[in-house]
Amino acid sequence: MNFDFSPEQQALCDAIQRIVADHLELPRTGNVVEPRAYHPAHALEAVLERGGFFDIALEPGCGAVEAASLVYESGLSPLVLETGGSALVAPLLTGKSLPRPIAIARLQDVSRGVRFLAEAKTLLLDLDDDVALVDMEGIAVETLTGAYAYPLGKVVGQIDLTAAPRLGQPQVSELRRLWRLSLALDIAAAMQAAVSFTTEYVRYRQVFGRPVGSFQAVQHRLAADAEQCRGVYWLAMKAAWSGNALDAALAALHAQRAITQVNYDCHQFNGALGMTLEHALHLWTFRLRWLAGEMGGYRTHAADIAALAWPDTPRKTG
Amino acid sequence: MEFAWNEAEEAYRAELHEVLATLPDDWWSSYAPHGPSSPKLMDHARRFNAELAKRDLIVRHWPAEYGGCDASAWQQIIISEEMWSIGEPRSSLYLGTNWAGPAIMKFGTEGQKQRYLNAIAAGELLWCQGFSEPEAGTDLGNMKTRAEPDGDSYIISGSKIWTSYAARADIMFLLARVGGKGKGGVSCFIVPMDTPGIEIRPIAGVHSQHDFHEVFFSDARLPASALLGEEGNGWQIVQAIIHYERIGAGRYEKAARGLAHIVEILKERGEFDDPVVRADCAAALAAVEAARLQTYLVIDGRAKDKDPGAETYLARYAMIQADHAVANLSSAYLPDLLVDGADGHLRAQFNSAITAGIAAGAAEVQLNMISGRYLGLPRGS
Repeated sequence: MNFDFSPEQQALCDAIQRIVADHLELPRTGNVVEPRAYHPAHALEAVLERGGFFDIALEPGCGAVEAASLVYESGLSPLVLETGGSALVAPLLTGKSLPRPIAIARLQDVSRGVRFLAEAKTLLLDLDDDVALVDMEGIAVETLTGAYAYPLGKVVGQIDLTAAPRLGQPQVSELRRLWRLSLALDIAAAMQAAVSFTTEYVRYRQVFGRPVGSFQAVQHRLAADAEQCRGVYWLAMKAAWSGNALDAALAALHAQRAITQVNYDCHQFNGALGMTLEHALHLWTFRLRWLAGEMGGYRTHAADIAALAWPDTPRKTG
Repeated sequence: MEFAWNEAEEAYRAELHEVLATLPDDWWSSYAPHGPSSPKLMDHARRFNAELAKRDLIVRHWPAEYGGCDASAWQQIIISEEMWSIGEPRSSLYLGTNWAGPAIMKFGTEGQKQRYLNAIAAGELLWCQGFSEPEAGTDLGNMKTRAEPDGDSYIISGSKIWTSYAARADIMFLLARVGGKGKGGVSCFIVPMDTPGIEIRPIAGVHSQHDFHEVFFSDARLPASALLGEEGNGWQIVQAIIHYERIGAGRYEKAARGLAHIVEILKERGEFDDPVVRADCAAALAAVEAARLQTYLVIDGRAKDKDPGAETYLARYAMIQADHAVANLSSAYLPDLLVDGADGHLRAQFNSAITAGIAAGAAEVQLNMISGRYLGLPRGS
């Protein structure tokens, strides 16, 4: 066992952190952050593209762990960018880079709403018995707005899949494994960022003459939330390392189940300020709202976990 | 990054399995359900520990000079997983291997090291822990038991409570007050339990009839050589070993095996197809694996000689959640199997989970530590 990155992985992670840190500025009007549900990270994306970071999984000696590092570290940013599909799912599923941004969806969700579909150039589509690679050029997409911090979109009318290349039935489980991993990393990062932001806020925000964060009722809930963040992170990193479908499903399930409490606590502790779009908290919690239901929510992972962890062959225990 | 066991670690686990295969056939029905402090299990532990010692399996992770094999800290967590998960057949020998031994290694005199470390490695000592008192459970700094210097001796007076293993233990790791109030007055002693002046009263517990005791010290005289470290540095010793104590027992592995057992029964009963049941079991497994990884993170640091940090408290809190997640499945879906004589495996996990959030520092203490040391939140007024 070794929980440390290799020197090369650490150098990569440090580089990503530096680049992300250089692009944290939120657009402002005067001193006030522009009140939007989310702020796209176009400049950060451009730097990462130029640096070849979205192709990291295909570099010799690299793979899912390196891509996971990019998804997680960039997911901590208050600015939104699509990394999971581009850097992790697509390259490891197809062995090549695809035009990005990349959206991933189940067929039944394309007419309801899909993360990043409003801007996507490629859609990875789970058809249940096959995977389709859909070129989004020429497909009509309606942008969805609301209480989510992503460029959401839905396909207008029926999606024509006749020209879309298929990867075959065996790749369905691989798509789901990688999607779950990517989802868990997105959630781990957004939860961690929300908890860190909230922790910083309650350190100085005074109530009844003392910092909000000095009250044990607040401390214990934030501490429990911090544990959840770390639990999800390590489950996801192990899943990235192992390439195991059960590990990925466990990470995604643990992540989606954690969202309710973490989201609630962070908003409670940011009080009325956290209810404004001028305050940054929603930039992560609005992501979490969407991520909680992606792929059909944790019940879908539970069904697969049951099949993978406890197959019908009797196991000897104890 | 690497999340797999190496060959030596796998081989060690296999050796442990060979010894575990010698446990009595009625282990789950007669021994394990009553806990590692039950008289029957403790008596059996002396034979079992001798067998482990014969194969040099007890403290592989210790330095060779103290009876170990200079193996990594990973071997400590492997034996812990294998033993704790089936009800800890070593009984309280594990207190010695996990943290009392390391405390003696770090703070003990040469005489104490020779006397106790080799005995632990030989599987000869069953320990108990004299920390909690009637008015000092979580608030250990409030303890009142005194150790008065008297020539070359200390006279111990006071009492300890909720002391596991005391009735059959050979030795106690005792905290007593030599100096004044507060944490600075606390000292550590190693106390043979046959010392005159020690009286033990059993207390029936909700998790076991045999675990808890009250231990009374009525002018029990200890030689000066019983003092571990220096007078007044007991709190420092506790702080040094606390990471070993909190991350020592492989509770997540016991929960994992309990969960596998629960699923097996639910399948036999035709109840595992229910999506709610499956979701609950899957969620429990995720909690178990999250606890396992956070524990391994602590062990990874230990194996690399890093100073222990707040990860210990995160891991311990995760372990508590995992233990309860599995125990809750038993009471929700298999309540009939928690009665006496029904299913010893389920009962052992269920009973053990009750203690998870209290023993080795209450869950709320872990949260306090995470708040202060990991999140850096300010103390309350």
